[in-house]
Amino acid sequence: MQNILSVEKIEKYYGNKDSITKAIDNISFKVDKGEFLGIMGPSGSGKSTLLNCISTIDKVTTGKIIINNKDITALKSKALEKFRCDELGFIFQDFNLLDTLTAYENIALALTIQKRSIKQIDSLINIVAQKLGISEVLNKYPFQLSGGQKQRVASARAIVTEPSLILADEPTGALDSKSSRMLLDSFEKLNKEYQSTIIMVTHDSFTASYAHRILFIKDGRIFNELVRGNDTRKEFFNKIIEVVTLLGGDVSNVL
Amino acid sequence: MFSKIAINNVKRSFRDYSIYFLTLTLAVCIFYSFNSIDSQNALLEIDTNPIYMSTLSNLIAGTSVFVSFVLGGLILYANHFLIKKRKKELGIYMTLGMSKGSISKILIFEALIIGLFSLIVGIILGIIMSQGISVLAANILEVDLDRYRFIISTNAIIKSCVYFGIIYLLVMMFNQFTISKHRLIDMLNADKKNEELKLKNSFVSVLIFIVSITLIVVAYFRVLKTGLDAENEALIATIVMGTIGTLLFFFSLSSIVIHIVQTSKSIYLKDINIFVLRQISNKINTNFLSMTLICLMLFLTISMIFAAFDIKGMNDRNASANSAFDATAFLIADSKSADPNENDIEFYLNKINFKFEAYEKHTFYNEYKLNFTIADLLAKYLTEQESVTLQENYMDDSVTAIKISDYNSIMELTGQEGMLLQEHEILVVSNYGQFITALPEFMKHEKKIMIENEEYAIKNELPIEANIKITGGNKFFYLIIPDNFNGYLRLESSNFNVIYDDDFVKQSEEKFSHLFNLLDDNTYRDISPAFVLGKTMKQLKDRENVGAAMFVFLGLFLGLIFIISSSAIMALQQLSDASDSLNRYKTLRKIGVSEQLINKAILRQCLVYFLLPLSLAVCHSLVGLKAVSYMFSFHYSSVIVSSLLLVIIYTGYFYATYAGIKQIVKNQ
Repeated sequence: MQNILSVEKIEKYYGNKDSITKAIDNISFKVDKGEFLGIMGPSGSGKSTLLNCISTIDKVTTGKIIINNKDITALKSKALEKFRCDELGFIFQDFNLLDTLTAYENIALALTIQKRSIKQIDSLINIVAQKLGISEVLNKYPFQLSGGQKQRVASARAIVTEPSLILADEPTGALDSKSSRMLLDSFEKLNKEYQSTIIMVTHDSFTASYAHRILFIKDGRIFNELVRGNDTRKEFFNKIIEVVTLLGGDVSNVL
Repeated sequence: MFSKIAINNVKRSFRDYSIYFLTLTLAVCIFYSFNSIDSQNALLEIDTNPIYMSTLSNLIAGTSVFVSFVLGGLILYANHFLIKKRKKELGIYMTLGMSKGSISKILIFEALIIGLFSLIVGIILGIIMSQGISVLAANILEVDLDRYRFIISTNAIIKSCVYFGIIYLLVMMFNQFTISKHRLIDMLNADKKNEELKLKNSFVSVLIFIVSITLIVVAYFRVLKTGLDAENEALIATIVMGTIGTLLFFFSLSSIVIHIVQTSKSIYLKDINIFVLRQISNKINTNFLSMTLICLMLFLTISMIFAAFDIKGMNDRNASANSAFDATAFLIADSKSADPNENDIEFYLNKINFKFEAYEKHTFYNEYKLNFTIADLLAKYLTEQESVTLQENYMDDSVTAIKISDYNSIMELTGQEGMLLQEHEILVVSNYGQFITALPEFMKHEKKIMIENEEYAIKNELPIEANIKITGGNKFFYLIIPDNFNGYLRLESSNFNVIYDDDFVKQSEEKFSHLFNLLDDNTYRDISPAFVLGKTMKQLKDRENVGAAMFVFLGLFLGLIFIISSSAIMALQQLSDASDSLNRYKTLRKIGVSEQLINKAILRQCLVYFLLPLSLAVCHSLVGLKAVSYMFSFHYSSVIVSSLLLVIIYTGYFYATYAGIKQIVKNQ
């Protein structure tokens, strides 16, 4: 299987000489093409920092991050912008849709900054809208959409450029349970039918149970790794709960 | 304790305050400078006519009341933005248990600090600037700068303090009102509120747009057709049409532009044009009212500053054209008078015992009326515009004539050659040939004039440009007739022109201006009933200069205030909008939009936002100035100077805004 992402011994320090905080302390892992990876951990464990480093928003102190055979820690800021725009797709907890633009325009923006041709833009948007079931709401503004619809529009924006890697940061964080389920179903569909590679950060066990493999992070280190294998989601969910309990997450993190 | 928080607040949010502070300071500076005009020594030198001076001072005083309203509104507007930005901060104070009264105190302290600081800096800048105005005034009034000295006007300082004190007081009251009105939850969430989008039916907006364009075009036609000579009601109707047209234009513009751009996919789907377009349309949509106001203010500014500079330029040209003599006086002939001596100015001067000195070169001459009017002669050749302008003033006047011997003696006085005139020949003399084309047209087509069935050949092919008297008294044109002309002649006036000797200018000027002032006061009516008037060149110039100075100063004053107000409003709107849009820029950056593209987007928004009201204003001004162009003759120098002034201020604000937004977006 083709290797998309490999993280090699990265560390991230904050602070100065006198007081160093290690947000990430020697983490290594690999992600293959078509994988659906979950990253879990309690607040302050370093999972968001890890995602920020992979998404090139933040820089690592030491170590290498290789995406599609390119070492992104060595890229200059110009090249980084281009890389981010061409290879990565982002889905955020608070959607980050532009409120002044319609759903269609929000998705189109991701394509226009890649300088795609006009014909391509229109057909790509229609295809992705169908995939995520938002064809009917394309001409509406974000404030006319429900939370679930917003997140699906945001997901459409993330995948329409066919990135090598989709990064989702607490995608269900602001959704009710029904919308969460619909979104995760579409993630599953994307992953299964279109072989999209997804890395999803969450501290919600139910959300995490949709992934194939889960990395547990605590205090900047990999604490545990769970692989779903042939388990049903229910069985996988129970395993996750066990690890979370072990991790010392409080009750709110379990449900 | 509160003052400490206040001082720290001002220090910390210096960037937020800087535009507010800049606006206040500039407002104070301009206010001071113009109010100090009457203490400028350059102006004090025209002691010959104190009435004009007091008129100028009164005008400036009146205008500054009006202007303080404009500035007060502007400051309140700027303050509103500042408070809006800080609602969350104030909300946090409240959650910490601070009472509304204490928060009010903090705000009052802040307002005091900023107010005091801007007042001091503004007045200092104003004192420096008013020295520049002194030089400008001296230049306009043609006073030499020998007696120039540094002047600080206590009067203007007190006035600035009082006026701005009142404005600051209003601002504080406004802030109290804001604090007491808002609920805590709204204040804490103030920055999360999204602007509501006004969704509009596209058909309706197209309709409104068409109506607005129609209104503007109709207003243009109306004003071009009649100029400012139209009836009052008609003029007001035109102004109302233009204003409503402008308002509707900005009201409907954003949806129209989006519809148009959306049809051109190659523009619409390029880079982040979608974003830029929506941002701009959003802004125009929410701010159409202030955009209209700004557009109209800019229109007034451009018109006033152009007109101000041009009036000054035109006076200069007139003065140089008409300064052939140092003084002119005339006695208006009374046709009922039995004694011909009664109608002779030379006899009159002897009677009141006024003697010319030997060195005062002078000449006497008579002006006559012929028995046909200017309309009879020129009607065929007048353009439509000219007939409107001339109708009231000249057309029904009889044509004025001067005998060739008198004409030659006038020419001799100015050191020019006389002319020889045969029987049945006449000359045409006029200084207005270049302004009114009817006369040269007439002379091109007609080589003869019939007077009482006798034919007179016109000897010259173009009007002779010569001065018969000094400014003001010149007729539109004169016919020079042979001495033995035997048609109908009615004596109109008996006149004299004087040229001083270079060595005795001062004495002569004093003597003649004294005589003319006495004549104005009817001092000699007992000795002779005749009606005599006179002016020296210097008296005329002073009058014109003060008139010009009034126009230039008021034009500059209002123009500067208006352009600063409108630029400041736009800058504030843009900056506050930028901080409201911070999240949008953050999102753009996250989805991989390059820094370069973001900067480009900011630049485009700023450009469109600043240029939009300006271009409509320029359009309005071009039409407006065209409509009154018969009053002015535009010269490149005045156009360049006034444009440059406007461009510098406007560009300054534009650049400050652009840099400010870039900074805000970058720093987050």
